[in-house]
Amino acid sequence: MSSRQLVQPLTLRPVTAADHLAFIRTQPSASFLQVPAWGPVKSEWQHESLGWFRPGADGEEMVGAALVLYRQLPKVKRYLAYLPEGPVLDWASFTDPDARLADWLEPLRDYLKTKGAFGIRIGPPVVTRRWSAAQIKEGVSDPAVRRLDDIAPLERTPTGAAVVSQLHELGWQPQAAEGGFAAGQPQYNFHVPLTVDGRAKTEDEVLKSMNQLWRRNIKKAAKEGVEVTRGTRDDLAAFHALYVHTAERDHFTPRPLAYFEKMWDSLTPEEDDRFVLHLARHEGDLVAATISIRVGQHSWYSYGASSTEKREVRGSNAVQWEMIRSALAAGAAVYDMRGITDTLDADDPHVGLIQFKVGTGGEAVEYVGEWDLPINRAIYAAFQLYMKRR
Amino acid sequence: MTLTLHVDGPRWRDHLVAVAERTPGMVPVAKGNGYGFGLPRLARRTQWLADRGAAAGHTWGDVLAVGTYDEIGEVASRYDGSILVLTPWRPFGAALDVDPALAHRVIHTVSRAEDLATLLERQPDARYVLELVTSMLRHGMTGRELRGLGGLTARGTLEGVAMHLPLAQGSHLSQVQRLVTDAIAADLPTRTLWVSHLTRSELDRLRTSYSDFTIRPRIGTDLWLGDRGALKVTAQVLDVHAVERGDVFGYRSRTAPKSGHVLVVSGGTAHGIGLEAPSGDQSLKARAATLARGGLDAVGFVRSPYSIGGKQRLFAEPPHMQASMLFLPHGSQVPQVGDEIDVRVRFTATAFDRVEVS
Repeated sequence: MSSRQLVQPLTLRPVTAADHLAFIRTQPSASFLQVPAWGPVKSEWQHESLGWFRPGADGEEMVGAALVLYRQLPKVKRYLAYLPEGPVLDWASFTDPDARLADWLEPLRDYLKTKGAFGIRIGPPVVTRRWSAAQIKEGVSDPAVRRLDDIAPLERTPTGAAVVSQLHELGWQPQAAEGGFAAGQPQYNFHVPLTVDGRAKTEDEVLKSMNQLWRRNIKKAAKEGVEVTRGTRDDLAAFHALYVHTAERDHFTPRPLAYFEKMWDSLTPEEDDRFVLHLARHEGDLVAATISIRVGQHSWYSYGASSTEKREVRGSNAVQWEMIRSALAAGAAVYDMRGITDTLDADDPHVGLIQFKVGTGGEAVEYVGEWDLPINRAIYAAFQLYMKRR
Repeated sequence: MTLTLHVDGPRWRDHLVAVAERTPGMVPVAKGNGYGFGLPRLARRTQWLADRGAAAGHTWGDVLAVGTYDEIGEVASRYDGSILVLTPWRPFGAALDVDPALAHRVIHTVSRAEDLATLLERQPDARYVLELVTSMLRHGMTGRELRGLGGLTARGTLEGVAMHLPLAQGSHLSQVQRLVTDAIAADLPTRTLWVSHLTRSELDRLRTSYSDFTIRPRIGTDLWLGDRGALKVTAQVLDVHAVERGDVFGYRSRTAPKSGHVLVVSGGTAHGIGLEAPSGDQSLKARAATLARGGLDAVGFVRSPYSIGGKQRLFAEPPHMQASMLFLPHGSQVPQVGDEIDVRVRFTATAFDRVEVS
């Protein structure tokens, strides 16, 4: 009630990619989908960098940033303005009851409206609930537990709840992703915390929180002589061949090689470790390959591939361990294994993925999820219908 | 001269225990006319439930909910647990006159930020629940107001957040989820939810998703009146007069339309007989039936809630204060003075002369 009057209004305007990047560098972390170099990766969409400004003692201060992707509707010059895992702002400030999300989102809406957006989609990277690896393990073995929601979380965060409450109040609509993989970015993710009591964990501490199978496999890979190296742009082709092989085996649709080359070309120059290709070889054979991405203290395992032959040398575990070690060395606070579904049903085919991730001893986190604000209701409704029928 | 509620005691008590057993954390509600039983009886019965629950390791009836501050006195001496007042506390009226000897047993419902500040000023150790506004838009705070309470909720004893949901129109769960999110956003020092009007499956779902919360379902009608077969209402026949067509009778000197009998039976406006309380049924058919009854009124006799020989009988004229006159056409079986006849009433709108529990 007191500080409210002192807060200066925020303004929003386009910024250069350089200013955008400079802001990201001041942040402890931001989603890699919100760095300026991500824009060119999505070349079929237009993109723009935006900045929030607040008048300060020494002139204007940039306090938030967004990478907006404009997705055009077929035939008309109207766009869905999409801020994947964004925007980048001080989400933690919303524990303060006086902090108003409207102060941030109203200028955003006003600006995007002038750009021809019929709707806006955001995905605040804010955690609402957490579950421990032990809880998940127990849940999978308990037939009464089918989804994460069936287990009381370790924590429900007031910040996450405050963001959800305010989004509802402001008329944003949750894009409920039943199961977690249906829409846009995953709402449930798996994190391996790399800090404890405010300090970095040691490699030993990280290893100790893993289950026995993971530790044994990491040891086994070392004993078998699996070597993990960093790849060059030329190695992307070898990664891609293995990735296509993995896609056939695991029944998912692979992205083309050009997509990964585009990621390389756009992301690698932006920052050290922004985009790293890891290759695990056994006696010269490529047995696993992964891509990791890091922004500040947040390191992601982004794409992975593994051979069907020589599974016993445990290339996958070796390359994961190498990525975790690199993240630790770079001072990351979180190793993020990305999306999981919320299923804990032992019969669900997705449960294998969560079990693999759970072996690292990390935690499942639920994010606020993706939310839409319709601007032009008629076009937005048509768009929703179109997306449903696609 | 009595309108009597007969209760099949064993069957009714079995029902109460069955509801309690399938509703962990149940909070019985006793308000208004005590659902026909009267508040004192429900208070004693709540004590009975609380004792049985405690013996079995459950919390049934450790809290009794009453409607208003004026009702506290009627239950407090017949029951020794906590008393939740459903009407929100306001800085005026009966809320300020709570007997100091009972103050520690009372849980206030607070629905406005300014009321919480005032209540805590008057009674620093007050026990209270915070009511959230639901789609009913009756009383309660919005998520924003709740977040604005700040450190206030660390004072006194916050016993939980309360929500008063409308009668079921589809599932309430998404609304409950939103309200709980509002409560979490406010970082309240409580993990207790006081809810009403959730179906059993909704409650089960809520307990699963929020197993780190304590759920306190408030139940009135479904508890006390949930087994209608255990309840029977009768009136007494006080007088019987044979009439011929054209005979004059009653306050309004009506004439008999044909030969038959005029009956004087117990039960009148003082009991709630003849007053139309809206029935829960909102169907087109029910509304048409109401219209049809209105139509009857215009031309002559109105259908009464009294049945004789399994048939609902007509009022010979509008009910009196404590008795009613019925018309029984020629050919019907005529009851004797002193006979008991069945009456269909709205329990929440009826004042019985006597409640007999077997």
